Amino acid sequence: MKKLTEIFFRIGNTTFGGGYVTIGMLGRELVDTRRWITAEKFDLAFALARVTPGTNLIAFCAAIGALICGTAGAIGAVVALTAPSSALAVLIMQGFQSWQENRIAMAAIGGTVAAVAGMMWATIWVILRPHVGGLTWKGMTRNLQVALIAGGAFVSARIFGITPLPIILLGTLIGFLWKDERP
Amino acid sequence: MNLLVLYLLLLKASLTSFSGLGSLPMVRNDFVVERQLLTDHQLNMAVVAGRTGPGPYGLYLVCVAYLVGGVPGALMGFLALITPAFLVIPLMRWIGARADIPRVRSAIRGLLLASAGLLLSSSVPLTLDAFTGVFSALLMAASFAVLTFTRIDSAWLMLGAAGAGLAASLFH
Repeated sequence: MKKLTEIFFRIGNTTFGGGYVTIGMLGRELVDTRRWITAEKFDLAFALARVTPGTNLIAFCAAIGALICGTAGAIGAVVALTAPSSALAVLIMQGFQSWQENRIAMAAIGGTVAAVAGMMWATIWVILRPHVGGLTWKGMTRNLQVALIAGGAFVSARIFGITPLPIILLGTLIGFLWKDERP
Repeated sequence: MNLLVLYLLLLKASLTSFSGLGSLPMVRNDFVVERQLLTDHQLNMAVVAGRTGPGPYGLYLVCVAYLVGGVPGALMGFLALITPAFLVIPLMRWIGARADIPRVRSAIRGLLLASAGLLLSSSVPLTLDAFTGVFSALLMAASFAVLTFTRIDSAWLMLGAAGAGLAASLFH
């Protein structure tokens, strides 16, 4: 348990680049090097973390911690991964606030704000890309579903000002009724 | 703001998203549009702070909570961030056996697509806030291209963007 927490602390708080990079590093350590978990269990944790609400990486750590050391392992893994980096994020936020009057610091922050806007559009593309089909009949049906649900959600929120929760619930219901025909 | 309400609002945002930034539409709606506790610029800064250090992208929730409720608020944000993760434990037992059922898969797909549309809707005002001229537009496009078409670590991207912003300021 102590070693497990130490691994999540070390990898989670020194790896930049978001969830997929951290998951890759954890796989190398826990599956390849230490063999604490099989590749099949690792894949199951990864798949289920993607359908768990919230941040996928944190759910993934909870799943791996639970598979190795039970509920205590899940709590240890999640806290070791997120507590130090959360504290660091707050410190960075405090720094941003106290630099409001500093022209040089604000110029650097302005650059990163623009980069983050680009990152948001990249995130949208990452979410949509696996659901976009080709030019076959089945592919076009999938594209229609993407356009209707994602486009409908955009218009409902942006043009009509509908709050997110009913839009998400309606999107889930449409998905449930409009069955995926993939094999 | 009452800390319990802060926790519940952030938990609602976290529970209805399926990626680090997926909660952004709900957070913007609750904190910027409805309660006006934050501006779009502050929300942008929270996202930047969450992405600057190591750890998951969802850390921006802790920064949002810090802006609204100080250090006790940040603690609520942290709890709201990690709480949904533990749902994976019962899910491993329940969905693990049903993940291949087409209707379950389709419902998840519908949810993800709606989330993408909402994220698109939230990205428009945040992008407009970040837009200050041709230079910022170029940085946005470069950031999108780097993350979409290369495997360069986003930490390098943030560092490069900060350097470019600094250089542009000195140049002017």
